[in-house]
Amino acid sequence: MRESKGSAKIRWFWIWVTASLIFRLILIYFPKSLNLSSRPEVSTPLTSIRRLAEGYWLKQSSLSPYAGSMYHGSPLLLTLLGPLTVRRVEGQPDHLLCSLVLVIADVVTAMLIRAAGQSLKMSSSSSLKSVGLHHVLEYSEVLPSGDIAALVYLWNPFTVVACVGLSTSAIENLMIVLSLYGGCTRQAPLAAFGWVMATHLSLYPAILIIPVVLLFGYGPDAPPRKLLRQRTKFDNSSSIDNSSVEKDVKNQLRELNFSWKPVLHFLFWILLWSSYVLVLCGIYARQHGGLKELFRRTYGFILTIPDLSPNIGVLWYFFAEVFDFFRNFFLIVFHGNVLLMIVPLALRLNHRPCFLAFVYTVVACMLKSYPSVGDSALYLGILGLFAYELSDMKFSFFLFCGYVGVSLLSPVMHNLWIWRGTGNANFYFATAIAYACLQLILVVESVSAILNHDRMLTKLTGAKLQDVKA
Amino acid sequence: MLLLLCLGNIGNSVAHLSSSSESTLHTNNWAVLVCTSRFWFNYRHMANTLSLYRTVKRLGIPDERIILMLADDMACNARNKYPAQVFNNENHKLNLYGDNVEVDYRGYEVTVENFLRVLTGRHEAAVPRSKRLLSDEGSHILLYMTGHGGDEFLKFQDSEELQSHDLADAVKQMKEKRRFKELLIMVDTCQASTLFSQLHSPGVLAIGSSMKGENSYSHHLDPDVGVSVVDRFTYYTLAFFEKLNMYDNASLSSFFNSFNPNLLMSTAYYRMDLYQRRLEEVPVTNFFGSVMETLHTDSAYKSHRSIDIGEAKIKKRTDQSISGSDRRILRNMNNKDQVSNLSTEENSQDSFGQLWNSVLSKVTTTENVDEFVCHGLLLMLSLLVASTWLSH
Repeated sequence: MRESKGSAKIRWFWIWVTASLIFRLILIYFPKSLNLSSRPEVSTPLTSIRRLAEGYWLKQSSLSPYAGSMYHGSPLLLTLLGPLTVRRVEGQPDHLLCSLVLVIADVVTAMLIRAAGQSLKMSSSSSLKSVGLHHVLEYSEVLPSGDIAALVYLWNPFTVVACVGLSTSAIENLMIVLSLYGGCTRQAPLAAFGWVMATHLSLYPAILIIPVVLLFGYGPDAPPRKLLRQRTKFDNSSSIDNSSVEKDVKNQLRELNFSWKPVLHFLFWILLWSSYVLVLCGIYARQHGGLKELFRRTYGFILTIPDLSPNIGVLWYFFAEVFDFFRNFFLIVFHGNVLLMIVPLALRLNHRPCFLAFVYTVVACMLKSYPSVGDSALYLGILGLFAYELSDMKFSFFLFCGYVGVSLLSPVMHNLWIWRGTGNANFYFATAIAYACLQLILVVESVSAILNHDRMLTKLTGAKLQDVKA
Repeated sequence: MLLLLCLGNIGNSVAHLSSSSESTLHTNNWAVLVCTSRFWFNYRHMANTLSLYRTVKRLGIPDERIILMLADDMACNARNKYPAQVFNNENHKLNLYGDNVEVDYRGYEVTVENFLRVLTGRHEAAVPRSKRLLSDEGSHILLYMTGHGGDEFLKFQDSEELQSHDLADAVKQMKEKRRFKELLIMVDTCQASTLFSQLHSPGVLAIGSSMKGENSYSHHLDPDVGVSVVDRFTYYTLAFFEKLNMYDNASLSSFFNSFNPNLLMSTAYYRMDLYQRRLEEVPVTNFFGSVMETLHTDSAYKSHRSIDIGEAKIKKRTDQSISGSDRRILRNMNNKDQVSNLSTEENSQDSFGQLWNSVLSKVTTTENVDEFVCHGLLLMLSLLVASTWLSH
């Protein structure tokens, strides 16, 4: 009965995946009236496919692709997607090949999320077993969080819009999820490749090195380590002669201490991949000013925010009115805001590295210089991995309605401001502020829900120990 | 400046030239094109001047050596149905205004005073170089004027006049200051040939569209634009020149004799008593284009590049081949500049950088950098797959 139910579930999963693929293909063939690739929520100066096509054309005309401040992305992406923007198929929509690449990237990301979810589930079930909370295990096993997360990622309107709107954030999301998957399954080359490419494409995933290092050091998400230590002490003191218990003890001991060998392995692969990428970029940029110019145009653009065209973030409005004298100061403040969040969260959530990665992604998406809906597509997908732990999250309905409201109102306000002229920048910025507030509430509530879940586990373990002792 | 290799008959004319009274060589060509009329109904004068501008540019004179004076703006006139476009024919085939027109004196800057200052070179200190006629004693100057004129005068801007003795005086000053080697004056107005009746400086050739007492007529009316778009004299001048390109050597006499008085409805009178050379031997490109003669030197050029040996070889080869055809061969000097730029970059780096650069330049050339990076990407992906499979 259980097996057929399981296989039925798997069949339904693949049906939904195929349906999302077909849905994307239908939307790609939709007439251009949707005009998604020109919406500021979808395409930012960093992710727009038109800028990539312009950069490719500049390169073909023997100019630097960064001339004229159009393209600010990675040269490797230009080599990959550039020729596809030019090649046209008869009778098909423009950029068809690019959209197919992005659709494939989306599907692969979903598969990786599912695999990461399955590995997370396995590790969490083994850690729950070792703590002795078997009834909790039963509840959590009913929920296939990997499948749920993958389907949430595929069917999220934000992801669909980002894919059909030809935003290159699909590839960045793929790299981030690849690094998380590599961390969960302890595959250092994959994780290092994902992290290096994600940092290379957009600067902010650099902060994800901490969760990935914690994944390699401690293993995937587990209850707080003091619970495991208590259990170990208890098992040792009760001295039950059982080979399976000894094996569990050994496993626990392994997870309790930070293991340096996988981390060093991971760091070695990071060095390898990053030097490879730097060499390739150096060769590419040789005629156009070298690596220094390349970094100035890509990372310098992200950090100094020269382009103040409106997007769904909050920095453009602020930097449009700040005085030049204070501009550097506020740049440091805004970027430092991201950096300041890293250490406290890492200290508090170091037993749950995947959740830490999720929190970092939300924080980066809130405070990054050019956010788009593709970034929120990523963290909403990863959110699904913690469906069981976050089932008691407060304000979930409010957040859902808020997201729907903002995603509907934001294009309206943009239209009112730019095209009709009956609104002004404040209308659009109001929806951007509301969006930032929603993300803030999401991150605060999810962190508190996880901590509540941990407290509940501690209480249950304590009660169980009391029971056993008594 | 285009350097072209000569034919045999040009070599003859070089010999002829060197035996003339002028001992200086012809080194550059200038053009001063003046339209003196204001107002929309004088559209055809603007079109005349722009047609000559286009011809002269097409045959090789660059913008730095053209002084274009337009007294009014027809292209962006509020009455122009085709904004930013000026036509000289009903069929609207040629847009004379295009996107490469450099007007030096525009609107109210076209005055008799400025015109005479341009000719004599007596400007105030603040006038930029682009507005000066920087000719020297080796220059051939084409001076084309069009507008409304009459007996011994040319009307500027409907408010002042240039008289024929003013023009003769200016040309005499130019000759004294050695500002030209030869001067060709073309005038397309009513009673045009009276304007150069007072000239007496040597080396000046002049042609006017009509004689004293005759009017010069417009060619046709364009019903779409609403005004006449070209004058007859300029129309037939263009009919002569549109058949030519830079390599043709039609002579001035064929040009002057191409005007049919019946078609022009006036007599195109030209004056060659001040001009020493025979018109049959002067190619039109001496004034209307920018075709030079090259003098070979046998001494080596001063340079530290091995490409010079290649250049000397090319010169020798082409020397041998001139005798055959009637065509002129064009040679491009740009590749020498590119090589010199690259080598200066190399010299400024240290030895490791040089080694690295030499390795890289052997591996990749400019064209296949993209392919190299693409292969690099694919190699990276395959490395990833291999390492993942191995670590399982």
